[in-house]
Amino acid sequence: MVDTLTFWVFAAIYIAMTLVLGYMGYKKTKASEDFMLAGRKIHPWIIGLSYGATFISTSAIVGFGGISALYGMGLIWLAMLNIGVGVLLAFIIFGKRTRQLGQKLKALTFPDLMGKRFESPFMQYASAVIILIAMPLYAAAVLIGGSRFVETTLGVNFTIALLAFAVITAAYVIFGGLIAVMYTDAMQAVIMLIGMVALLFLTFNLLGDPTTAFTNLSNLSPHMPASLVSKGMISWTAMPEFGSEIWLTLVTTIIMGVGIGVLAQPQLVVRFMTAKDSRALSRAIPIGGLFILLTTGVVYTVGPLTNLYFWNTQGKVAIDAASGNADTIIPLYINSAMPDLFVIIFMLVLLAAAMSTLSAIFHAMGTTSGFDLWSHIKRVRSKGAEPIAPSLKANKVGTLIMIVISVALALVMPESIIARATAMFMGLCACAFLPAFVHGLFSKRPSALAAKLSLGLGGASWFLWTAFVHVKESSVLGISKFLFGTNAVLPMPWQVVDPMVIALPISIAALLVGIWYDRAHTKDEAVINGRAGTAE
Amino acid sequence: MFGIDDPWILTGYGLAIGLTIICIIYGWWKRNETEGDE
Repeated sequence: MVDTLTFWVFAAIYIAMTLVLGYMGYKKTKASEDFMLAGRKIHPWIIGLSYGATFISTSAIVGFGGISALYGMGLIWLAMLNIGVGVLLAFIIFGKRTRQLGQKLKALTFPDLMGKRFESPFMQYASAVIILIAMPLYAAAVLIGGSRFVETTLGVNFTIALLAFAVITAAYVIFGGLIAVMYTDAMQAVIMLIGMVALLFLTFNLLGDPTTAFTNLSNLSPHMPASLVSKGMISWTAMPEFGSEIWLTLVTTIIMGVGIGVLAQPQLVVRFMTAKDSRALSRAIPIGGLFILLTTGVVYTVGPLTNLYFWNTQGKVAIDAASGNADTIIPLYINSAMPDLFVIIFMLVLLAAAMSTLSAIFHAMGTTSGFDLWSHIKRVRSKGAEPIAPSLKANKVGTLIMIVISVALALVMPESIIARATAMFMGLCACAFLPAFVHGLFSKRPSALAAKLSLGLGGASWFLWTAFVHVKESSVLGISKFLFGTNAVLPMPWQVVDPMVIALPISIAALLVGIWYDRAHTKDEAVINGRAGTAE
Repeated sequence: MFGIDDPWILTGYGLAIGLTIICIIYGWWKRNETEGDE
């Protein structure tokens, strides 16, 4: 059992450091651009660490760590995509162009960038509305994850833990804006790095060198639960059987869904706009890549190895030791196998992971409501055509309102929906935003019509597949059951095919049709105008 | 290799580590390059 006093001493130091960094952010926040984009002059290392810490939440460590204990080492492909797509592609291809465009158009948020790039107020407020509907669910999921962890390990009442969590994070986000968020992110990222590297070494210290540990894990295959074998699992050191139910879930939902979904997440895109120049982004890449390898790579390696630990100590595989709940496998392993001091460090790792993601979401929601939506409402009310200048006060009020909504959701929504919120948020971002965002970044003549079609059809098809076919979400949403008396209107294997696999191609197709129509139409108009001109 | 027989898993590890090395090399290579140099 962990010494509670020791934990609270460590936690007090951690919270004090967080508040000091928050105060530094507050002192440096003089104008809206400081609050929204950290004055566009953040140090490259802080960009890399902040990006990584925002990217990796508690659910990536505890949730996906538990899934790797269940489905095996195939999750290393997610770590690979997180580095290749989430860092390399994101920074080099997307990040540099986003920064250039953001500076050129003087965009302050992701919806603002979309609106200005497509010269379409609709794109700005439609993006804002999608963010403001989906992001509070994601925020509630992160809040619940962190609070449940504090509740189970320290015996603190869930509601008190949740409120404390929200108040501390809110304090530095509201007063210090993005500078405070990124400074605290960097500190939290360092804690996460120390904790995850220690976890890897302690695990091999416990189970033998890598070859011995993985060989013994491979030899455990005959003891794999029948429920996993029947769905395609072969071994914890191998990919599931090609095309099986677990293979489809692993590849389409976990690896592709989360791996690609990262590219168009508003809270991450904003990080690119904080860089002073492209050199700063280049210098952030090694930090980002190493951070992702040492966090996700470690947890997806340790996760499967927990089966060996629980087999050696209890004669059970991990999922049985955790009484069937994959989310408790990593915390249970840490509590049973690791020294007390490491248990405390790991608690701080999880707090840091939750707070860094949460602060980024709070900030993104706050600026979306306080700038994108509020300036639109003000413009409509004043019947003016001129853009409304951003207001520091409106951003702070917007952030506060969105934090209150997220906390309320975390307290009242069924956890079954919240548990699916992370995957749902990432899927929706990819289907609604990604094709239009790519088009906006790289096309010389971006088509607003194509962007609107892609956003509308991508978002709608994602919702329909989520609510009526993908059984993990449709069963908790209950819309399909209410309307048709069944959780999924299509049979297997469609029920385990991720909404993104269907909705992203629809979104891309809609974009291409829109571009084709727009260009054909423009060409026709040019021909007509040309003839008219000749006639004149 | 390392007690892991499935080439897909080994490839996944190889790519994850290889891409991290590319991140480090790229960051070092372009550390002083601004937009105008690209």
